[in-house]
Amino acid sequence: MIYRETGTFITSYLEDRKLFPIPFDKWAMAVFMLFMIFVVPFIASDYWLAAHLIPILAYGTAALGLNLLTGMTGQLSLGTAGFMCFGAFFTFNIMLRSPEWMNLPLAMVLAGSVTGVIGIIFGLPSIRIKGFYLLVSTLAAQYFALWFFRSYPYFLNYATATVTLPDHHFDLFGIGETFDVDMASFEAKYLMSLGIVTALALFAKNLMRSATGRNFMAVRDMDIAASVIGIPVIRTKMLAFFVSCFYCGVGGALFCYAYLQVLGIRTFEMNRSFEILFMAIIGGLGSIAGSFYGTVLVYEFPILFSWAGDYLFKGAFDTAVVDNVAKITYGILIIALLIREPGGLAALWATAKQKLRTWPFPH
Amino acid sequence: MAAGNPILQIDNITLVFGGVTALNGISFDVAEGEICAVIGPNGAGKSSMLNVINGVYVPQEGRVVFKGQDCTRMRPRQIAQLGMARTFQNIGLFQGMTVLENILTGRCMKIRSTWLEQGLNIGRARREEVENRRAVEEVIEFLHLQGIRKTPVGKLPYGLQKRVELARALVAEPTMLLQDEPMTGMNLEEKKDMSCFALEINREYGTTIVLIEHDMSVVMDISDHVVVLDYGAKIGDGTPDEVKNNQDVIDAYLGVTH
Amino acid sequence: MGFDWVFFTELIVGGLMSGVMYSLVAIGFVLIYKSSGIFNFAQGTMLLFAALTFVKLTEGGVNFWVALPVSMGTMVVFGILVERFMMRPLANQSLLSLFMATVGLAILIEGLAQYMWDSAIHGLQLADFLDLALLDPVNMTIFVVDYIEWLDILISKFDVFATIVAGTMILILAVFFQKTRTGMSLRAVSDDHLAAMAVGIPLSRVWALVWAVTGIIALIAGLLWAERVSVSFTLVEAVLKALPVILIGGLTSIPGAIVGGLIIGVGEKLGEIYLGDLIGVQGIETWFSYFIALVFLLFRPSGLFGLKTIERV
Ligand SMILES: Nc1ncnc2c1ncn2[C@@H]1O[C@H](COP(=O)(O)OP(=O)(O)O)[C@@H](O)[C@H]1O
Ligand SMILES: [Mg+2]
Repeated sequence: MIYRETGTFITSYLEDRKLFPIPFDKWAMAVFMLFMIFVVPFIASDYWLAAHLIPILAYGTAALGLNLLTGMTGQLSLGTAGFMCFGAFFTFNIMLRSPEWMNLPLAMVLAGSVTGVIGIIFGLPSIRIKGFYLLVSTLAAQYFALWFFRSYPYFLNYATATVTLPDHHFDLFGIGETFDVDMASFEAKYLMSLGIVTALALFAKNLMRSATGRNFMAVRDMDIAASVIGIPVIRTKMLAFFVSCFYCGVGGALFCYAYLQVLGIRTFEMNRSFEILFMAIIGGLGSIAGSFYGTVLVYEFPILFSWAGDYLFKGAFDTAVVDNVAKITYGILIIALLIREPGGLAALWATAKQKLRTWPFPH
Repeated sequence: MAAGNPILQIDNITLVFGGVTALNGISFDVAEGEICAVIGPNGAGKSSMLNVINGVYVPQEGRVVFKGQDCTRMRPRQIAQLGMARTFQNIGLFQGMTVLENILTGRCMKIRSTWLEQGLNIGRARREEVENRRAVEEVIEFLHLQGIRKTPVGKLPYGLQKRVELARALVAEPTMLLQDEPMTGMNLEEKKDMSCFALEINREYGTTIVLIEHDMSVVMDISDHVVVLDYGAKIGDGTPDEVKNNQDVIDAYLGVTH
Repeated sequence: MGFDWVFFTELIVGGLMSGVMYSLVAIGFVLIYKSSGIFNFAQGTMLLFAALTFVKLTEGGVNFWVALPVSMGTMVVFGILVERFMMRPLANQSLLSLFMATVGLAILIEGLAQYMWDSAIHGLQLADFLDLALLDPVNMTIFVVDYIEWLDILISKFDVFATIVAGTMILILAVFFQKTRTGMSLRAVSDDHLAAMAVGIPLSRVWALVWAVTGIIALIAGLLWAERVSVSFTLVEAVLKALPVILIGGLTSIPGAIVGGLIIGVGEKLGEIYLGDLIGVQGIETWFSYFIALVFLLFRPSGLFGLKTIERV
């Protein structure tokens, strides 16, 4: 009898911990993923893949990385593009300087790990420095990364400004040659990015609902209480820097390999860090799905805006004007969102879902 | 509960902040299995005393010995690993997390799986999650928190937050529990519940409790041992009856000017 | 023998002078940090906005002495608007939310500045303006002659001028916030919002004042900085250079901002020349000041003059 009871306990606790407690969500997610994998590559044009889906996946990875650090662990960072820079350059160099059997996903994991270690180094000051004071360390990382790759052209294989990433880097275990498919096509790049991003998002989701994730959030919310209940605060912060920078590094690699197709330092200027910070903020700090909502909005907003401007005013305004109006609207949007809902799009979505669940009879 | 050997020895502790002497040469012992109340007017140094005991503040002088180990200079985490848990005067919950998540953090020292296992959600990590959940459920039942598992702690009323904080301390299965004003700001009903919890914890698990409390009737009811602080100095130490009749203590509480 | 003392002194003097400029920008940050506990991300774009307003006015033929107060007035109105529409509605939210709002504000201002004016890079020959404004037109030589010589040391005249203006600004601000009633209430607000409101200090008035003053600082700093880095987005990044300054000084301290500015100004120049030589690479000034700040912070986590507090629980 007792045995039976424990048995049901286990299943119910696991049940309670499921990723998608509501069956509808689970099915919706499954359908969405199947659509993204099996339908999108066939119906989406190269333009849609190259100019929308792939960059969103790359940006989203970096935004997720930043969110793990800032949203989950409360360590503010302005060095995202710097860490992406490390990831992208290391990936390229690993591909360039390794024997045949090396492949891109593995290179990204290795490069991401090295970036993670660099992240730990720049995260070390967080042991002593808190809050806004930590900005200085992450800014140092940003500028150090740019300076480093500018000063040592070895890492850019002595090219001036940019290198075009060679197609053969994209081959996976000789699949391309064997089956005579173009592994450097947009479809292939999209599928590779989608695979990597899905794996990383799933990993992050699991991490966040386990002890490590709770430690992250505990450190964010009140680090003294965290240390008093026995959470290793320093180790937790360092781990957050490692994981976050790993994600940013992979994001940087995707950004160059899958999206831009070239590698250059200018890709990772300060502005990029800000852009990704906005993605994480607008999407919702502390939410994994939010990182992607924010990415879609921030990335698509100016495109939509200028498209709408063209469409409505038939080019009556030049692009600079539309650009600036987009920025103004966008700034107001951020402030309004923070006033209405500091949790970002993710929180808005959660509220909307809650309302839908009880619709049409609230209470 | 009958007093045993001293489990905690406070030896001549002095703690200074800038110009303020928060604690001035304080010594007392806490016996294994007792409920020890620390009382005193506001600003007497009670919270500072708890902070010294579990390593949040490092005293300028003196020693804290817990279970025979000198832990004066240990970090809070090391002291927690020796079996000390605590609650805070101004609620030390993690405000961005739910009740369940908050209480689960109390099990952090029992985790053996690595972050990689947790991220991949395999083997040990899954098992531990279930084990810890079971321990948490026991405490939830004990403190009657069933209805609010998934509520963000920030949304709870003050009294319930204090109870959640106690739950988080308890799931760590501590040998010693420090409570900083667990009943302040509660109504009579809630106070009664809280004192019952303290007594039950003490009786059932043999947990030694050091608590700070202002309500004298509660203190007299539940404690085996009372330490009185005033302006950073110890002015009384003994059984509730002894302390009640101590002239210094009476003066301090009646506000006789020094 | 090998050591060039004249050059060294020139570096130190140059470093001190750019340090004063850093300090001026840093004070803007400090004021807002003191009054609301946040790092104002929009500081850089405020500089850009203020400088652009001024530049466009003068380019449109407005007299220097009219353009200056008009730009100042614009910044004051701006400060009041920010208080009313951003700070007040966000008053009870977390510091992170407030910080993010300033990020939003930065984008808003950037768009606004470029929309109202334009996004071309403007050179601002403040020196020429000053010559026109301050001297009789016949004899406009004070600023056009670029350098003065003093004990064999060459110093840019404009730098001297900028240093004096920035220094004076800093002094006025320091006196204002240390000695006047308003200044006192700012300090009270920074110590404890709730307590300040309880004793009847109007939080929103203090905030509006602080944002307005910060706007004026932004204008002056923007004009002085623009001479070096041109009026464009680079101005925004130049301001991030002030970050190490306030962190060294401590986010809450005006004297700290001054000392921090001098330390970074000198440290950066020395590092660029001597350390760069030593390790045989160029261009380390992009990150060197951050490293100086990090080293300071490691020893003093809340800066040289910042409030040292032991967190209470
Ligand atoms: N972190 C701190 N920094 C400065 N002073 C402190 C700190 N913690 C406590 N104090 C001072 O120590 C004294 C005792 O405070 P506390 O221990 O909180 O008293 P109690 O808990 O008995 O009310 C008070 O004067 C208080 O101002
Ligand atoms: Mg207290």
